[in-house]
Amino acid sequence: MRYEVTLDDRRVRVELGGDGRFTVEDRVVAADVRETVRGRQWSIVLAGESHEVTVVTHDPLRLDVDGHDVRATVVDERALRAGRGAVGARTGRVELRAPMPGLLKAVHVKEGDLVDADARLATLEAMKMENELLAPSAGRIAKIRAAAGAKVEAGAVLIVIASE
Amino acid sequence: MYSDVDRDALHVRAADAAYPIGTGAPRESYLNAARIIAVAKRAGCDAVHPGYGFLSENADFAQAVADAGLVFVGPPAKVQRLLGEKTAARRLAREVDVPVADGTEPLRDAAAARAAAKKIGYPVLLKPAGGGGGKGLRVVGRDEDFDPAWRGATGEATAAFGQPALYLERQIANARHIEMQILADSHGKVVWLGERDCSIQRRHQKLIEESPGPSVTEGLRAKLGAAAVRIAERAGYVNAGTVEFLVEVNGQFNFLEVNTRLQVEHPVTEVITGFDLVALQLRVAAGEPLPFTQDEIIRTGAAIECRITAEDPFAGFIPASGRVALVREPAGSGIRVDSALFSGMTVPSEYDSLLAKVIAHGRDREEAIGRMRRALREMRIAGIPTSLPFQRAALSDRDFVAGHYDTGFVARWHPTTADLTDGEAASAALGAVLAQRTRTERRAVATVDDPWARAGRADALR
Repeated sequence: MRYEVTLDDRRVRVELGGDGRFTVEDRVVAADVRETVRGRQWSIVLAGESHEVTVVTHDPLRLDVDGHDVRATVVDERALRAGRGAVGARTGRVELRAPMPGLLKAVHVKEGDLVDADARLATLEAMKMENELLAPSAGRIAKIRAAAGAKVEAGAVLIVIASE
Repeated sequence: MYSDVDRDALHVRAADAAYPIGTGAPRESYLNAARIIAVAKRAGCDAVHPGYGFLSENADFAQAVADAGLVFVGPPAKVQRLLGEKTAARRLAREVDVPVADGTEPLRDAAAARAAAKKIGYPVLLKPAGGGGGKGLRVVGRDEDFDPAWRGATGEATAAFGQPALYLERQIANARHIEMQILADSHGKVVWLGERDCSIQRRHQKLIEESPGPSVTEGLRAKLGAAAVRIAERAGYVNAGTVEFLVEVNGQFNFLEVNTRLQVEHPVTEVITGFDLVALQLRVAAGEPLPFTQDEIIRTGAAIECRITAEDPFAGFIPASGRVALVREPAGSGIRVDSALFSGMTVPSEYDSLLAKVIAHGRDREEAIGRMRRALREMRIAGIPTSLPFQRAALSDRDFVAGHYDTGFVARWHPTTADLTDGEAASAALGAVLAQRTRTERRAVATVDDPWARAGRADALR
């Protein structure tokens, strides 16, 4: 997965390979990375240089890098392609939730299907209208949690998409 | 003693005995004099130390403690009353030939105040007569802004000090806030221990203090010390206190107010003089004479204190509360940390935003600055925004390093971009990506796969 990271006014491209290798600005870096506090702090040894990155706050993303304060953003390739701004990475799993209570008229996909962002996933009848529910992001359909004909509440998870 | 929200606080765990005094709301606990005194009696205390917030400058509390047969560790109620009313304190200063800024007595109404402001000349300071510490204080720059400022200040003064009375003072531009630490025993002996420059403030609340003041000459120091002692003697002062002055660029000084308590920044003076001020407060409260004379006080080197607060310097220093995920405090030669921080603590929204004080001591100012820089770079706090980025920047600011700063420093400060090496930038970028990934994964787990979350949601939808 590719990411574009901003550090104050500086842009850095990062790629995380599936094999655990990192590419920074298209150069493979030999980084020895240890997570020293879960989800909060990493010790990174880069070609003999020892660095420590601490997440001060997630939202907005503020980092402490060896005692320097950095305001950062991270955008992944999908968000970049979709032209979205720096709203954060969209990795992992994404839920499609019912935007309002109603009757689930149809589910247009099955588990295991690959879908594009904005693909038609389901039809929800509510307030006497049929509403097409679209995929919030691309990925594989991991779980379908409601069947056609079911009455659903607002906020109920209908479909889970796993990004690839 | 502790309020409900402070049950896990370090002061509770470090203490030999601990008693709950009420809920998190200050009025129900730390401002509740009756409950505090009842707990002190039940615990078998013989004295009450009021700390440096809440009731520490409340004369009624000092009186209530004395009336309950306990010793109040601080000046007696009548001294607090005399100096706590700011215009009375100004009169007292003038009586002993200490200069005060042009100003007024407490004012009746907006019309009278506005007329007085015109006479003094804008800009003027609108100040609560009932209390200090920068609370309820307003700067008024123009005649047309006067009435709204008067209304606002009246409201704030009533809320903060329980009395609406206001008075006016000439605003001294580009002044330095210099304060003198004093100590008096109950046998009439008063000494001064040295000054602190506290000009690095935002909203009249201090962020960095140091001693000696970089602009204070030996001559000015002696004058400020003598002035502070004259005021204390005239007031019949007992125990530790601080006399605050505004010093103009030309060295002209004006008396501001007396803080009739120990101050947050007292460690600066402690490391310079080698005294334990709290221990001395207890000795004085026990009736002992001061164990040294003015001539025996030796000040060594330079000291700086940074108040690390739960405030966001990238967002106008707005206070933050929440859970502290990680803490690492600095150490090493010349570094002292007075701290309430621990990993996993929740910073309550009910109280002051002060989290920790980092104090650096060196043989001279340059060494103290170097040690403080190193300490601030070592320090880690995560989970909530803190003032740390401001202090890191300030300690490298050219004007600060040169000692050229005044009370406008924070207002003029703007966050700059971090100057990272390539290795730091690469590491930061990797860390940012890893942080974002862990977070997204965890959120997905929490919302999708966590059976408790699922059950909770099912319940909520029922």
